[in-house]
Amino acid sequence: MSATMAEVPSTRPRDDVGELPATQRLLTRLMHRPLGVVSLAILVLLVVSAVFAPLIAPHSPNAISVVDRFHGPSSAHWFGTDELGRDLLSRLLFGGRIALGISFGAAAISTILGVLWGFFAGQAGGLLDELLMRTVDVVMAIPVILFALVLVAAFGSDLPTLIVIIGLLLTPASARLARSAVLAEIRSDYYRAAVALGIPRVRILFGELLPNAAPVIIARTALAAADAMIIEASLSFIGLGVPPPSASWGTLVKDGYSQIFHALYYVVFPGAVILLAIWALNTLGDQLQELLDPRTSR
Amino acid sequence: MVWYVGRRVGMSALMLALTSVLIFVVLRVLPGDPVTTLVGQTEGIDASQVAQMRHGLGLDRPLFMQYGSWVAGLFSGHFGVSYFSHEPVQTMMGGRIGPTVELTLVALLIAIVIAVPTAIYSAMHPRGVVDRAATAFASLGMSVPSFLAALALIIVFAVKLRWLPTRGYVSIVSDPLQNLKLILMPAAALAFTACAPILRFLRGSLGEVSEAPYIRTAEGKGMLRPTAIRKHATPNALIPTLTIVGMTVGRLLGGVVIIEYIFSWPGLGTLIVDSVFKRDYAVLQTSILFAAAAFIFTTLVVDLLYGVLDPRLKAATRESAA
Repeated sequence: MSATMAEVPSTRPRDDVGELPATQRLLTRLMHRPLGVVSLAILVLLVVSAVFAPLIAPHSPNAISVVDRFHGPSSAHWFGTDELGRDLLSRLLFGGRIALGISFGAAAISTILGVLWGFFAGQAGGLLDELLMRTVDVVMAIPVILFALVLVAAFGSDLPTLIVIIGLLLTPASARLARSAVLAEIRSDYYRAAVALGIPRVRILFGELLPNAAPVIIARTALAAADAMIIEASLSFIGLGVPPPSASWGTLVKDGYSQIFHALYYVVFPGAVILLAIWALNTLGDQLQELLDPRTSR
Repeated sequence: MVWYVGRRVGMSALMLALTSVLIFVVLRVLPGDPVTTLVGQTEGIDASQVAQMRHGLGLDRPLFMQYGSWVAGLFSGHFGVSYFSHEPVQTMMGGRIGPTVELTLVALLIAIVIAVPTAIYSAMHPRGVVDRAATAFASLGMSVPSFLAALALIIVFAVKLRWLPTRGYVSIVSDPLQNLKLILMPAAALAFTACAPILRFLRGSLGEVSEAPYIRTAEGKGMLRPTAIRKHATPNALIPTLTIVGMTVGRLLGGVVIIEYIFSWPGLGTLIVDSVFKRDYAVLQTSILFAAAAFIFTTLVVDLLYGVLDPRLKAATRESAA
């Protein structure tokens, strides 16, 4: 341990830009990138419209009106109506609550558990580390969607169950990233200094290391949210999503697909929304990652 | 080298064993078993009959014994018996492996044939039209779930143009042309999502390699930059891309489940989805293990190939052995 007490005060050697915390600085820099702004704007729009769905939806999402079956897009029904005469725009707005809720919920679970898992493994080292990371390898050896099918078969697919299942499935990848973040920081002077000062490990990990690693973890969370949305949409498309009458975007695509030869708009709108949301999440994650890469950030 | 191969094979075997335990435990410990599903369809069955059915299917035996007989069966070619059709699982799976392998390989081939030349051309002409288009295409490809790509293809080629059928399967032996027509859309949909990571990674690593001193040397000796990239940078950038191709196979194995379902392709994927709906564990556990084994095996092959192809790695192992 080479750090002496005199060197201790500079605990954040990576702070080169201003006094803002790492996360806030990242957000400011994100705003200078066109793709960052566009993807963030799309996400905000989708989230706001899902949150305020009951206020903005022109119709009730489950109101059946047999005379209005399969109306194409019109001023009364912007996105048309489905096989039961339900307003597709309203169903999409409410579907967003399920799709985005699952996506964000699962991403949050994967990040929280992943950080705990990865931090613990990374700082424990040795056999425990090996054991925890080999577990990650085993779980990641099965394609996620296959695992999701098994778990849905066993546990069912109501909203909270889906969030937990998808969140758990995305955890190993997050854990791997969190561990590498720990390993990167654990050799830094500030970490050694803090250890030498006798600060409890948990406090160093979550008080010092986590804020420094936050940007990487935030980027991973955005990508995890995109993955979660793909998994949920795929499950819903097969018919293993949230049970009716509530319909996620993936369920709407499934229903639209069954009518593809005589009501093309039905499948196109939900499909486009899913694509937009996943693209926005992926792009946001990529932009964040690029900002963090020292080779491209400047 | 022998030691490296042995260690790598051993690791894969261990991974496979752990995976089988995981699949088994997840399917057995969790609520909802096939008997409940079977009984759900029948009126007026009492508890003793349920217990008898469990006994008949061997579900009342201790977990480790059930696991033991499953694994022992796998080694002797008896994969178990479906809880529903009472058909042996190996017969159910037998005819389905071919179509899935065919679909996956064709998709992988399309992806590589598109991704590799595009990436090399993009790197030879950085920031050109092709490079920009390829970057946009890759970022789209990363975002499109395979089922949406499939829908887009169906809309264009089946609904609008009416060129291709949306479902069905004909063996390549009995009618090669019809087989080609039927495989085109599912394979293209899978390839679309598989293409993006390969393209993106190869383009990225070409970009990195083209900064290397030996490229500058080649340029200094009068070689044109595009030629230097094509002749010197590409072989070096292709080797790490192999790893991504291996990972892509994993993505394909997941995507193939959904794609087979959409196009009614009679492969392992549709079998898996069917048995999920029926909670037919006997079929499910073996077919999922098969998919996982295929993935683990691909990763192993890629790793070993990597050792053969990358002279640096060979040199490193030789040094450490000496």
